[in-house]
Amino acid sequence: MKQGFCVLETGEIYRGQWHGGEPRAGEVVFNTSHSGYEEIATDPSYYTQIVVMTAPMMGNYGVDRDVWESNKLWIQGFVCVQMQSSNRDQAWLERLREFKIPILSDLDTRSLVLRLRQGGTPWGALVHANSEAEAIDLAMPLIAKEKSKDKDWVFAASSKEFQSRRGEKPAGPRIALLDFGCKENIIRELLPMASEIGVFPSRTTFEKIKEWNPDRVMLSNGPGDPADVQVAVETVRQMIGWKPMMGICMGHQILGLALGAKTYKLKFGHRGSNHPIKDDLLNRIYVTSQNHGYAVDSATLPSYVRVSHVNLNDQTVSGVFSKEKRCMGIQYHPESHPGPHDAHDLFRYFVEQL
Amino acid sequence: MPRRQEIKKVLILGSGPIVIGQACEFDYSGTQACKALMKEGLEVVLVNSNPATIMTDPEIATSVYIEPLQVPFIEKIIEKERPQAVIPTLGGQTALNLALALHKEGVLQKYNVQLLGADPKVIEAAEDRELFRDILDKVGAKYPKSHLVRTFEQGTQVGDELGYPLILRPNYTLGGGGGGIAYSPEEYQSMLVQALHESPTTEVLVEESILGWKEYELEVMRDAAGTFVIICTIENFDPCGVHTGDSITIAPQQTLSDREYQAMRDEAGKIINEVGLQTGGANIQFAVHPKTGERVVIEMNPRVSRSSALASKATGFPIAKIAALLAIGYRLEEIQNDITKTTPSCYEPALDYIVTKIPRFAFEKFVGARDLLSTQMKSVGEVMGIGRTFQESLMKAVLSLEKHREGFPEITVEVDKISYPNSQRLFHIYQAFRDGWTIESLQELTLITPWFLEQVKGLVDFEGTLKASSLTADLLLQAKKRGFSDALIARLTKKTEIEVREMRHQEKVLPSYQQVDTCAGEFASSTPYYYSTYWSKPVELPRAEKRVAILGSGPNRIGQGIEFDYSCVRGVKGYQKKGWQVCMINSNPETVSTDYDTADYLFFEPLTEEHVSEILYAAKVDSVVVQLGGQTPINVAPGLVKRGFKLMGSDLETIDLAEDRGRFNKICRELNFKIPESGMAHDLQGAQGIVERIGFPVICRPSYVLGGRRMEVVENAEELVSYFERHQEAISTDRPCLIDQFLAGALEVDVDLVRGKDWVVVGGVVEHIEAAGVHSGDSQGVIPPQRLRRETSDKVEVMSQQLADRIGVIGHLNLQLAIKQDQVYMLEANPRSSRSVPFVVKATGIPLIDLGVAAMLGDGKEKVKPERFVWRSRPGVCVKGVVFPFKKFPEADSILGPEMKSTGESMGRGADYGEALMKGMLSSHMRFPEKGEVFFSLREKDKTEMLLIARDLVEMGYTLSATKGTAHFFQEQGLQCAEYKKVHEGRPHCVDKIRSGGVSLVINTTSGRRSIEASFNIRRACIDYSIPCLTESDAAEAFLIALKKTREKAFEVHSLQAMQEL
Ligand SMILES: Nc1ncnc2c1ncn2[C@@H]1O[C@H](COP(=O)(O)OP(=O)(O)O)[C@@H](O)[C@H]1O
Ligand SMILES: Nc1ncnc2c1ncn2[C@@H]1O[C@H](COP(=O)(O)OP(=O)(O)O)[C@@H](O)[C@H]1O
Ligand SMILES: [Mg+2]
Ligand SMILES: [Mg+2]
Repeated sequence: MKQGFCVLETGEIYRGQWHGGEPRAGEVVFNTSHSGYEEIATDPSYYTQIVVMTAPMMGNYGVDRDVWESNKLWIQGFVCVQMQSSNRDQAWLERLREFKIPILSDLDTRSLVLRLRQGGTPWGALVHANSEAEAIDLAMPLIAKEKSKDKDWVFAASSKEFQSRRGEKPAGPRIALLDFGCKENIIRELLPMASEIGVFPSRTTFEKIKEWNPDRVMLSNGPGDPADVQVAVETVRQMIGWKPMMGICMGHQILGLALGAKTYKLKFGHRGSNHPIKDDLLNRIYVTSQNHGYAVDSATLPSYVRVSHVNLNDQTVSGVFSKEKRCMGIQYHPESHPGPHDAHDLFRYFVEQL
Repeated sequence: MPRRQEIKKVLILGSGPIVIGQACEFDYSGTQACKALMKEGLEVVLVNSNPATIMTDPEIATSVYIEPLQVPFIEKIIEKERPQAVIPTLGGQTALNLALALHKEGVLQKYNVQLLGADPKVIEAAEDRELFRDILDKVGAKYPKSHLVRTFEQGTQVGDELGYPLILRPNYTLGGGGGGIAYSPEEYQSMLVQALHESPTTEVLVEESILGWKEYELEVMRDAAGTFVIICTIENFDPCGVHTGDSITIAPQQTLSDREYQAMRDEAGKIINEVGLQTGGANIQFAVHPKTGERVVIEMNPRVSRSSALASKATGFPIAKIAALLAIGYRLEEIQNDITKTTPSCYEPALDYIVTKIPRFAFEKFVGARDLLSTQMKSVGEVMGIGRTFQESLMKAVLSLEKHREGFPEITVEVDKISYPNSQRLFHIYQAFRDGWTIESLQELTLITPWFLEQVKGLVDFEGTLKASSLTADLLLQAKKRGFSDALIARLTKKTEIEVREMRHQEKVLPSYQQVDTCAGEFASSTPYYYSTYWSKPVELPRAEKRVAILGSGPNRIGQGIEFDYSCVRGVKGYQKKGWQVCMINSNPETVSTDYDTADYLFFEPLTEEHVSEILYAAKVDSVVVQLGGQTPINVAPGLVKRGFKLMGSDLETIDLAEDRGRFNKICRELNFKIPESGMAHDLQGAQGIVERIGFPVICRPSYVLGGRRMEVVENAEELVSYFERHQEAISTDRPCLIDQFLAGALEVDVDLVRGKDWVVVGGVVEHIEAAGVHSGDSQGVIPPQRLRRETSDKVEVMSQQLADRIGVIGHLNLQLAIKQDQVYMLEANPRSSRSVPFVVKATGIPLIDLGVAAMLGDGKEKVKPERFVWRSRPGVCVKGVVFPFKKFPEADSILGPEMKSTGESMGRGADYGEALMKGMLSSHMRFPEKGEVFFSLREKDKTEMLLIARDLVEMGYTLSATKGTAHFFQEQGLQCAEYKKVHEGRPHCVDKIRSGGVSLVINTTSGRRSIEASFNIRRACIDYSIPCLTESDAAEAFLIALKKTREKAFEVHSLQAMQEL
């Protein structure tokens, strides 16, 4: 088996075993979920990211096309301690290979994770090479190239054309969904409560949406830095107070920016299925699925918006709410996949109460 | 919401003596809870009948009561202490059942005490399997088809309807007690009788089988606001049909997809809510069909449990502590995560390693018991291995069992050891792979999830790689990453273990010590809870001036259990008080010693020479304490000394003088101590020669055995032949058989002492109630002695001190001596703390372990002031009771002998011997019949002595019956006595009488193999029907004293703290 390396732009290098795929670069992040590797890999929010799984053994339960969160794998690399690869089952390995995603195992993921926690999440690359020196030579140009890519990742992950999805409840609202790289499960959650969902590309203008005349607006999750997203902030600003609106993850951050608040980069982000949240809307504390590298700065929120959800691990803003403007933003993933379903009722709140 | 202010004083119920299914994990939970509540400023009253626990140490709670866990005693404690609340969720099934009883009898209401954590409704909802089914229906959860059976007749009908195999699950029992799998109507009917009998409510759930389904367990917590978290998911290696306590289990679960897992998690949450659990921990077991993914619920327990202890150790999340805080009103988000110190407790731990638990069994102790696993738990202990991969953790767990240095030695595969679940199955599966079996064939025979089998096969495949190539540094690292021990690598590569180790050190293939941090590295944590792995680069620990390592006692087994954990934990505190940093090393997840806040550093590692020495190198420790963890550390001591580590206290020479029988006997002769005549035989002829010299009866034992393994009393020439036949594989030229003159009828005593450089403190002389010949761990004991004359007792003390001086003990020494006709014989010396230490400490109040630490650290007489400690100074009498697991081993005999069989002990304290006996016996689950018939079957020499007892019994209103010889004897002495046939005399015989419920007490003394075998059925019937059966005349006398006391219905309760003040 070939030697593979995870090279960070800051120079640290981690050796492991190369399982195929093509060398690629991306932001190196870690995820603490025990299960759900396939949901993670197909989540567009992981666009341009190399995912290090802290749980050591991956691929154990095979694959299932039904759990896909989009129609492809978005990650730039997959790293763990051990990959399932027996004659009976190596489906996960094969699926990653099919999408040419570089796979590195047998790596000291703990040291790498501690490095990411302490020093923040840098760019890096997964390459195969015969020596560390060679690995660095291969990795640095890849990283440089990847970093020069257009910054509006949301646009890259978003659908490019309007699409209508028929809801399961004829009496339910028509919901406009601004697609920033939407996870399929947001749509799966909304369909039973809606009569129709209109999925709009990320750079859609307010006029276009207005034309469609939705009852409610959903802003989806998506990858990258909200500050780099074009058009959407303006579109959302115009929709504030117009129709009840909910943002999830990137959607929440865009809503924050549209409300005039600022966002900032977290040191190493929140990625996992075990983050505790205090929810003032549903009046509960529960465990959530998370995946974000940026957050809304509470000090910059306008007075008519309150922080309704707090991440209890680090007190960061996990949700905002304005009664007056009938809008709410949720930083984590009530649609789960992977992760607990505890925040699931927020969809109902959005559709029925907001 | 902050703490409930109205609660100022709580009563915590413990779980009583260690039994199979309920072991020292409840000491761990209870101790943790007490510490947390004390820190909150509450007054904590603790009651437990088990003196071997750490929780019954006076420092753990405000008031500690060692009293029977029965309503009258608890009522008296409540009356005296007036707590506002009782916490019943920390003491296992015993505490839950007791709480229900206190409620039903109105005690809680009378004293206006509330139950915290779980109220009677919750307990019933979870424990009454029928109510529980209703709850499952409400939340839409599925379960196997079943019927609740209350009578035998109803049961037979149900059996036919459901089809075979069938699962029997009695209500309100623990460890699957009384349950099982019936494969045929015949089996079913006999099991049904037993199961109905075992359930306190005479209710058995009879259920269709889901044998072979995948089994899971979720450990959950909930607070009063409804916040709900999963602490740990556990997946069983063994599919359904093997009790989880007997299954190899791993955490976190590995083979469920996120969708499947989340659905299970949701269902767990709904069930907890519907059951109405207010606050605390609970576990829920599920089964999942391996093909269809269909999921059913097996059961839930609304309390902390064996698996919650495991989950706490596996994740670093202190479930019991948090449960206690939730019970007094806190919310999860208000309690800080101890390990990260920055995040709250309302989260779900993330693991970046794998944990494997393997149970440890004791079938070899119970001659005749079949090594088969079923839904009734049989294991006596467990180990946990932590590694970055399943393979590394599995290997570490196997090594932790302390069975073999190689982990998986070569064995001969037996197919039935694979197809029928048994304690050796993993080892046979491993060997089968070595022999070329396929995964498919093993899967077919075992129904074990293929993923697990592949992992095991991966280990075997790597053995092939090692064998086929010469050992390089890279291969060595790969082997270590898979958890291979140096010994196994050595055998596979035809090197010596030392060569492998040296190569490893040269090539810097060294373990790295990683933290268990509850969060997979997401947050910084400073909690020093470590495991070794070869998957990471070694990290340096800072050096410290005074740092010592204490070796724990490994998995609980018969002969070495919680008592040694008591010594270790007290030892840690002792060293800390003296300004030392302590590294605790242990592999047993049930213990207090492996709580991350017991020592300064916790290393959760196998107690092998290899693993221990690597820790000592890495932690920069050069002094090791081997006196506190029982025989396990004593066994690794020579290897550690060879590597240059220093033992604290007694050195190797002292240990050897005590352990080597030859040298020990020589010293005894030198000191003019009497010892039993003895000799060593390599074969039968040699033995016959020895017996000619010393005469029958003799006591035989192969050398190098533990806990009296294979030790037997041999009465005549014929039995001697039989002994050598049966144990020939254990006896050879280099492993001779020791033959001692058997001191029949002698009085035995245990002595525990501590010796410093110029002082000795005797902790006490414990007089055994049963005569010598019953293992010291199996006989009841009393302090101060009741039959021993004072001069003899003094002489015992003097001899003990002389011996300690002569062999140069520094620290602990335990001795067993026998007294016959006023002659004192030295039987055995153990150069370490012992099983009896915690009992002695609690009976006398002398802090033996602290004294041991002072001795090891070289404190002199002036500092220690040994004259302060006089073990006879406390008023009153303390009796040690014993509990046995015979119920779990239906083929085994309950007669007592020199091989230890008990799992746990109790303590009874009273103003006089009678009160102490009564409490000790009640606590060891003895039932005192109020009336009825007493059946006797006595050997010749006991008859006269037992006559007095028979007379007393008649006077108290009991009737008598006996086998022919005994009956005639009684009749001749003018007593009325019915006569029953012996079994071989035809039916109806005495066993028929016992089994049909006509007898309420049995006194049956026998000796000699033949008569023992002939009377087996008598004792077995008693065990099956929970009828007290006394097999020793001394025990019968003691029983009578206690029985009389119960009729007086007078007793007092005192806390240990109150005793201290006397
Ligand atoms: N219907 C069933 N078919 C097969 N095995 C079962 C069934 N019900 C229970 N078991 C097995 O029996 C074990 C013990 O049952 P459980 O109800 O958990 O008893 P306990 O109360 O002692 O924990 C379980 O761990 C499971 O493996
Ligand atoms: N010579 C003897 N005569 C009578 N009983 C003996 C004799 N030797 C041992 N025993 C009994 O056997 C028990 C176990 O023997 P011991 O040497 O203490 O073994 P262990 O190492 O298992 O503690 C003792 O507690 C005692 O009751
Ligand atoms: Mg169970
Ligand atoms: Mg002994």
